[in-house]
Amino acid sequence: MSSSSPLLLSRDADGAFTVSRRALMRVGGLVALVIVGLLLTAAFSVGPYVVTGLADGSIYALAALGLVLTYKTSGIFNFAIGAQAAASAYVFYSFRDTVGLPWPVAALFAVILVGLVGSLLLERIAFWLTGASAAMKVVATIALVVLLESVLTGIYGVATIQFTSFLPNKGIHLFGVTILGSQIIVFALAVGATIGLYLFFKRTRLGVSMHAVVDSPTLLALEATNPVVVRRYAWGIGSCFISISGLLLAPALGIDVNIYLLVYISAFGAAAVGAFSSLPITLAAAMGIGITMNVMSDKLSGQTNHVLAELYTQIPFLVLVAALLIVPKARLITRGADAVRKLRPPTTFPTPVLLTGALAGIGLAVAIPFIVEPAYVNQYTTGLGFAVVLISLGLLLWTSGQISLCQMAFAAIGASTFGHATAAGWPWLAALAAAVLVAVAAGGLAAIPSFRLSGVYLAVATFGFGLLLQNLIYPTFLMFGQSDFVSIPRPELLGINATSDRAYYFLALVVAGLCAFAVIGLRRSRLGRLLRGMSDSPLALEAHGANTRLTRLYVFGAAAGLAAVGGVLIAGVTQSAGGTPTGPFGYFNSVVLLAVLAICGSQPIASPVIAAFLFEVIKIYRPFSNAWFSKYEGVFFGFGALAVAVAPGMRLSFAGRRTAARDGRSPVTNRTRLAMRPPVRVSSQGSHP
Amino acid sequence: MIEVQPDLDVGGLTVQFGGLVAVNRVSLHAAAGAVTGLIGPNGAGKTTIFNACTGVVPCHGGHVRLGDRDLGHLSTASRASHGLGRTFQRMELFDSMTVAENVALGPEAFLAARRPWSQMACSRNQRRDIATRTKEAMDRCGIAPMMRQRVGDLSTGQRRLVELARAMATPFHFLLLDEPSSGLDVVETERFGQIISRFVAETGIGILLVEHDMALVSGVCSYIYVLDFGNLIFQGPCAEVLSSETVRAAYLGSDEITVDETDEVASHA
Repeated sequence: MSSSSPLLLSRDADGAFTVSRRALMRVGGLVALVIVGLLLTAAFSVGPYVVTGLADGSIYALAALGLVLTYKTSGIFNFAIGAQAAASAYVFYSFRDTVGLPWPVAALFAVILVGLVGSLLLERIAFWLTGASAAMKVVATIALVVLLESVLTGIYGVATIQFTSFLPNKGIHLFGVTILGSQIIVFALAVGATIGLYLFFKRTRLGVSMHAVVDSPTLLALEATNPVVVRRYAWGIGSCFISISGLLLAPALGIDVNIYLLVYISAFGAAAVGAFSSLPITLAAAMGIGITMNVMSDKLSGQTNHVLAELYTQIPFLVLVAALLIVPKARLITRGADAVRKLRPPTTFPTPVLLTGALAGIGLAVAIPFIVEPAYVNQYTTGLGFAVVLISLGLLLWTSGQISLCQMAFAAIGASTFGHATAAGWPWLAALAAAVLVAVAAGGLAAIPSFRLSGVYLAVATFGFGLLLQNLIYPTFLMFGQSDFVSIPRPELLGINATSDRAYYFLALVVAGLCAFAVIGLRRSRLGRLLRGMSDSPLALEAHGANTRLTRLYVFGAAAGLAAVGGVLIAGVTQSAGGTPTGPFGYFNSVVLLAVLAICGSQPIASPVIAAFLFEVIKIYRPFSNAWFSKYEGVFFGFGALAVAVAPGMRLSFAGRRTAARDGRSPVTNRTRLAMRPPVRVSSQGSHP
Repeated sequence: MIEVQPDLDVGGLTVQFGGLVAVNRVSLHAAAGAVTGLIGPNGAGKTTIFNACTGVVPCHGGHVRLGDRDLGHLSTASRASHGLGRTFQRMELFDSMTVAENVALGPEAFLAARRPWSQMACSRNQRRDIATRTKEAMDRCGIAPMMRQRVGDLSTGQRRLVELARAMATPFHFLLLDEPSSGLDVVETERFGQIISRFVAETGIGILLVEHDMALVSGVCSYIYVLDFGNLIFQGPCAEVLSSETVRAAYLGSDEITVDETDEVASHA
């Protein structure tokens, strides 16, 4: 009987080659797809765009393959691939253009420094994160994004660096289409890498070991295969792929870490279509994304509608979110989910301590406008707004175990709705209520992925949701419009004029205080208990009758409503709101906020307040008020969050696990070794050896 | 007066994982007011039957009825809110909570399922009812002294008791207990059997018990179903099952199965 190998040819028990029917069908399907693609290309005369799309898709594919490879072998979803690829391109630029080395040498240095050396660091981080909760795994790689973005923009500046092509640009003409040498090389590289990796996983011992290492490194060690070596190979190959893709992308895009972060969502999308597992499907999806973007850019080039004209740039985000909603749940396996350490609950303090702390905090907050310079009051008011957004993030993350990377999008919805309502003549409070309601509805929409996804997949989905909102909805009349401006007036409430900075601070303090009390009340309510239960074991909750979909809907709605209030308070400081990526409502702030919150612990109110102070207020005081800190603050936040995420794993390592794993040993093999030792001679007097 | 509770009726249940038939047209009837055993070697499909009954995995055929109500098309939460409760082989506990909070969250989650807005708030009567049920269940299982301890810090045996207490505190009509004695020592297992028997006698609800510990099974079960490779291979009263050649062959090879050999049975399984 022949084996059910997915390869086209396999050997049967007698050693004869047989053709796998399933594989034959796949190859047939692929050939049919190529033929249909060629016919469509000819029919619509989009040959040049298809060729460019294949080349772009090949670069995305290389990055996606690196992402899938490391996720399959470590259970760590590397959000930082865009930043890593950008780092590689910057290093390449330094060696080639600044130092003046020939490009092959410069490229080699870049791949060695960012790909290989970076992989050693990433492997260590992944090792320390073994057994960490999904939230902490997300926090760690998000922290890397924040750290790398800050380092790279700090060193190379925020402007895009133009980069001349380094691969041969001589082309060949085929069916009336010019295909450049660089495009052929990139395409061959991606296809070759996919085939090579595919065979490597199926046919080599190391490849098979890579499947096993994430689930049970100890079992692998028992089979005399060192799990650390296996992991290092996986991270080495994956990181080099990402590094090479970064080099290849540079001539087309220029080098800009913030552009790279967005472009590499294409790799997320492709990997999601392949269920973060299948290499051939990932390759095909990346090619598909590349082709669709290029063809659509041609077809939509004459559009006057901004959203439609820019729709092609949103293909990766649409693919990402759609794939996570459509790919069967059974295929989205959470790698390394076994033996996960549960998040420790926040330390509970005795009531007198809590009351004293709360009263001291309130007293200090009331005194602030009188003790700080008037010019700094607005900074504190913005801090209060961010504190409310962070409280909402804490509610999701620490209380209910849900991960959101789109919290600032809810804040933006709140601010823009509030602006529209006040522009229509609504009173301040009614406009605030409308902002909350609209954000709650959006939160309900964002909760839909959480019905079927959890952990890292939910984080990826909310990341995509936030980006889609930022790029597709922010510029429409529904939010900030083409002008990217909505007026946010300060109120006159109950006869009190809150238009001055100090009065607005007190208004913000009262609103933020009410939000904090609402969260404390929610945590003590039945919903709060269900949320805590859901964080620990959603299955147990369902087995006792609670509909956890409803619970998720409620918590996302509540968190979105709170974030909307925070958004209104933030926008009220400048009395305007806009959706620029570098502004307060930019998608990147959602990412940074998660990192800052992780540094400050899991207390429901105190941690977000401290995080808001670090994020917004600390920069007005020495020594943080200088340009150097504002340039590199991401390094501090990123490094801090990374340290918080990996610290428990590092403590375990120092307790001896690391040495055991490095030597390929386990307690079981140690016992075997002991058992095989020659018996210890015991003296006739019966003394202990 | 004991409330009349429903029987659990499973008919022609089939579960497939890809091409593998994990459970093949299994039918069983577990009566109210009694403990029914479901035994078989590891991989026989016992937990899969529980998962299919509670909607954790989809069925590919057959029906699951609790009394007159067909549960086949319902979600896990809906089946639980209709009264079918369970414990898990790999314990599903709220590790960050205390013992008392864990036990209380069982009936709380059950009550939260009544209306969509029931998750939001809890009436004073419901709070009182939950407190009474929690205390009763903790007393019944003997875990009241550790009520303030965090469940994540407890031993396996204590955690098993917390999970059992949570299921007992919830107003279920029928319970599926999945290897509840694994990780318990002989004395704890004996006490466990007494708790289950007393609970069934006092409340009249039925229990379907998956268990490898034959001492516990023979002590509490009135009727036993034996499963092997997803097929039902034998059923009958306890003594008949223990003396059956078919069961011995499936479970232990040709060795005789006796209650005294419980350790051996467990290790083979």
